[in-house]
Amino acid sequence: MKYTETHSPSSEISRKPIIGFFRSKAALRLVLLILVLAAFIVIRDNALSDSLGSRAQTFVTIFLSIFIEAAPFLLAGSVVSGLLEVYVNKELLYRFVPRNPISAALVGGGMGLIFPVCECGVVPVTRRLYQKGLPISMGIAFMLAAPVINPIVFASTYAAFGWGPILFGRFALSFLIASAIGFVFHFADPKEVLRSEQLSSIEHNHHHDHTHTDSKGPRFWNALSIGGDDFLDMGRYLVAGSMLAAAMQTLVPQPYLLALGEGSVSSIVAMMILAFVLSVCSTVDSFLALAFANSFPPAAILAFLVFGPMVDIKSSLMFLGVFKRRIVLYLILLPLMATLMITVYLNLNVSW
Amino acid sequence: MKSSWKAIILIAMGLFLFSRVLSGKLFFYINERFLWLTVFAAFGLLLVGISYRYRSQHDSHADDHHDHDHDGHHHAQLNWISLLLIASPIVLGVVIPPKPLGAAAMTNRDISIESLTSATAPQNDTVLSKPQGEKNILDWIVEFRQSSDPATLAGQEVKLVGFVYRDERFADERFMVSRFVVSCCAADAAPLGLVVNWPDSMALADDQWVEVSGILQPGEFDGESMPVVEAVSVTLTDVPDQPYLYPF
Repeated sequence: MKYTETHSPSSEISRKPIIGFFRSKAALRLVLLILVLAAFIVIRDNALSDSLGSRAQTFVTIFLSIFIEAAPFLLAGSVVSGLLEVYVNKELLYRFVPRNPISAALVGGGMGLIFPVCECGVVPVTRRLYQKGLPISMGIAFMLAAPVINPIVFASTYAAFGWGPILFGRFALSFLIASAIGFVFHFADPKEVLRSEQLSSIEHNHHHDHTHTDSKGPRFWNALSIGGDDFLDMGRYLVAGSMLAAAMQTLVPQPYLLALGEGSVSSIVAMMILAFVLSVCSTVDSFLALAFANSFPPAAILAFLVFGPMVDIKSSLMFLGVFKRRIVLYLILLPLMATLMITVYLNLNVSW
Repeated sequence: MKSSWKAIILIAMGLFLFSRVLSGKLFFYINERFLWLTVFAAFGLLLVGISYRYRSQHDSHADDHHDHDHDGHHHAQLNWISLLLIASPIVLGVVIPPKPLGAAAMTNRDISIESLTSATAPQNDTVLSKPQGEKNILDWIVEFRQSSDPATLAGQEVKLVGFVYRDERFADERFMVSRFVVSCCAADAAPLGLVVNWPDSMALADDQWVEVSGILQPGEFDGESMPVVEAVSVTLTDVPDQPYLYPF
């Protein structure tokens, strides 16, 4: 990094954030922040002793557990997004996009094999690919399918259920549903699907020739810091989603849900609600599903394993960072209807 | 939001994860087999935070001037509400003392023989080969489930660590020595427990961690037959290093 005398103090700070920070009034703000925190810590021991306190504690434990479990995957997805931004240009991506809408949706559904990400990591990657000009249909198919169609989830599902209808059913259904929904969006106008910030960056995309002239080092650091931007931006939705999921778990009793295990439709609905509320990462959800394998029919387990990775509280909140609100609603309802119809059909017509 | 603030939040979050790993409190939240993921994330967050220092010149210009032609930086503007939201895991983690799930979380979950036995996922053979003294609550319930006849376990000596749970279904001389089973993280915790007969049960506070030594006898709870521990001794203990049991 070069240092020049002619820069004003403010640009000096923005160029060297960590060092500049300690010289600026931001340091004062941090001290204030620490004082406020310290005040909280002094008060907390007296305030949190009753039963409301233990409820709050349960909420915090569940909230942090969802966040801590998801953070590594979101970070990995964000860094991949940063690397894509710096090292992949539009022309390169364009060469790999099939012209036929059906094959575009199918390729989107299978793309998780190249980008192994779960439902937290897939959203920043999809958003970046949209900025690079990926068709809407392909991106949606990728976003819905990738949390299941990837080697890690294949391994964990195999470890939990072995070779059998659950393993194959999970992969076939996820792929088909995701690709079909992706294909539906082929007919949608990108202006109505994506948030306006995404759109403007597609339309005004300039070629980053100047980045190619940089040496390797800064480009890598740039990729990481863009990944950091993405992590913070998507992290907001992850935090909000984890809080919502934790609140529902603290307030809504599970026994009512699990009592639905008997009926051929209600058991499936129960497992889908559970998948939505629990918001467990797709890389490990098969171990969790195993716990219900004794009390729920296989089709309901399948519904849990297919629907959960596509849509849950935290991922649907993260969708809000990419898509317009109405589209997010579709992205919840379409997988819900498709999974429900197929698994209810299987439950009624197939003996396992 | 200034990139210095972003860098500080990312680094603070990395340090927060590190502090939970080093204090061992991480196992209040996730299954121990995902420890490496958290360590990876902590290092990654530090690295990403540091990367803001080396961000090249035109990038910091983009924030101020030609926003529109620099894709990827439109969403980079975080306001103060977002900042508060993204910092809340750290703030709540520091302000609220870390505690594993306990009796309060059980009131919202099903404590019946059905849920107790269905929560014991994989039927691994290692359970049966474990020495008797090391078998935990989960192991015993798996074994009960495999035999499905409480009589086969009768007379077995048990030594169990768990927390005290009671509700209106428990008579005065009874309590449940309980643990949560966690497959992934505390969000999927399923409660497990064995009913203990102990004359001084009323003296034990809810949520108190205890070590129960006793003998399994066929018994019943809430109208269903299941093994019950006839306690010989109940001693108070601290929260174990790993408060949850892992099914795999």
